[in-house]
Amino acid sequence: MGVDTVTAIFRRVLETDGITPHCDFFDLGGDSLIATRVLSAVARESGVELTFEDFLAAPTPESLAAKVAGAAR
Amino acid sequence: MARSADQQGRAVILGTPGVGPVTPDLIDAFTQIVESHADRTAVVHNGRPLSYLQLDGLVQRAALRLGAGPGVVGVRTSRSPGVVAELLGVLAAGGTYCPVDPAFPAARQRAMVAAAGCHLVIDAETVPQGKSGVEPVDFTDLLTPRGTDGPDEPDGPQAPAYILFTSGSTGDPKPVVTPRGAITTVVGALRELFDLGPADRVLQFASLNWDTCFEEILPTLTAGAALVLDDEAHSGSFPRLLRMVERERITVLDLPTAYWHELVRHLTEDRAALPPSVRLVVIGGEAADPARLADWCALATGDVRLVNTYGSTETTLITHAVDLHGPRALALGRPWRPGDRVPIGLPLPHVLERIGAEGELMIGGPALALGYRGLPQATEARFGSGEDRWFRTGDRVERAPGGVLLHRGRLDGELKIRGIRVDPAEVEAHLTAHPQVAGAAVTGARLAGRTTLVAYVVPAPGADTAALAAGLRRHLTARVPGHLVPGRIALVERLARTSSGKLDRAGTHRHYEGRTPEETELTQRRQGAAAAEEEGNDGR
Repeated sequence: MGVDTVTAIFRRVLETDGITPHCDFFDLGGDSLIATRVLSAVARESGVELTFEDFLAAPTPESLAAKVAGAAR
Repeated sequence: MARSADQQGRAVILGTPGVGPVTPDLIDAFTQIVESHADRTAVVHNGRPLSYLQLDGLVQRAALRLGAGPGVVGVRTSRSPGVVAELLGVLAAGGTYCPVDPAFPAARQRAMVAAAGCHLVIDAETVPQGKSGVEPVDFTDLLTPRGTDGPDEPDGPQAPAYILFTSGSTGDPKPVVTPRGAITTVVGALRELFDLGPADRVLQFASLNWDTCFEEILPTLTAGAALVLDDEAHSGSFPRLLRMVERERITVLDLPTAYWHELVRHLTEDRAALPPSVRLVVIGGEAADPARLADWCALATGDVRLVNTYGSTETTLITHAVDLHGPRALALGRPWRPGDRVPIGLPLPHVLERIGAEGELMIGGPALALGYRGLPQATEARFGSGEDRWFRTGDRVERAPGGVLLHRGRLDGELKIRGIRVDPAEVEAHLTAHPQVAGAAVTGARLAGRTTLVAYVVPAPGADTAALAAGLRRHLTARVPGHLVPGRIALVERLARTSSGKLDRAGTHRHYEGRTPEETELTQRRQGAAAAEEEGNDGR
């Protein structure tokens, strides 16, 4: 799952267009509940079931995509 | 019931309640279940079962260690059978349970322990040190020695069972004292409402710091059912949660409404159903979204009871409930539609209700809390005084045909953030305590269909505005739990006032919404969501 796919998930979930690969989900107002939508979308599209703690440690599209790639290997 | 305050300002009960006998006490009910269901599973922790006999051993050990009448016992919580044993152990010893979250800021933990008048603070099992950087807070200078805090507490149904906190306008946590008679009465009513029996397996999902966890733990363990604690429930991943529910054969889920909304989204997008073991889903904490309810009904959920619940900490767990969908649902005559108003329910049998001035819901009966510890004026303002006590919920309601209540908003500015009550004045008090802040207004804003806190702050003259927002975030994070830290802090020139000079939170929000650079990109969406701005709030 690439950075572009994760960025698109962030845009869809936060309903915001201005998201770049370095934007922090939690700085954009995302909370633990909205985060479940990102984790569900990632699981649906990549098969990788990350946890909220994984997301806290990798809160940008770029870092989260790297986490998915690492978990999928 | 009359009450007065002693020298310490503590609420003391003088009279006797005009309610029927409460028998057996919660702990007696648990003991009876231990005798009749000794070998059945009481608790499952990450797959490891503990029988009722084994749990009772832990409870008795905890009670023995505390000794008879230990007073107010602060318990550092952790998601483990240990916390269940300490809760029951404190009650068995005749003490008052007060959960303390070791993940809260140290200053907050200390304020809670002081406000509750804790006589000692114990760990609910070894709290892993160093995890998430949590260091145990030292409370020794704050503890109240036994025998110095006024007359002995009453025995029986009027003895305090637990102390929990709600948001208070002064910035200090506001301790609610709930008597044993109230929790015993309500736990019995919930066993009936949930129709719990020994075959049930109930997930422990709620935070251990608020009272919803008691509605999972106590009805379950006085019905001979199994309480399931599992780390996968808190992973934030619905696929993991649902697999765990299936593996553990969970029959009852009690979820914050906000979390249930997300679960419905997930199930709808996956076109999935709940694992077939689930027979009952209880929701509560804020208004149920009729759009999510319509989605839920479109899933294969016809055999699952979906029960909406309403209640306040001050009226003990749940006062109102209604089956929204499933085998016992209120006959609506048609499917739920987006735009419907979802009822908060009918009063449970022990609840007295009346609708007061301005449509405010008032609650009476045996489930009322004793009051706010050390705050006799605040207690009288919400509970009244004299024999005839009624709790003012602050929720505006109206009665629908059939008697169910509909929620019509709040009479004050109180908000629900992730299902937790927040008085915006509490956050404002912490913000204005910062030396570089001249004024602050806090209100709720919608983001992606959820309410988040937004703070508008007027910097003091000479303040370092470049660093102030980040500095205020650190200031709050060091003092208050996460649900009281605004998602956004915007620096502004002035705050809106009403014609009488009072702070106008909504007016401030309308004036500045979308004006700060960082928020510009969020404006369009929020305007779209403006119609939904007034999020329902059901008091829990």
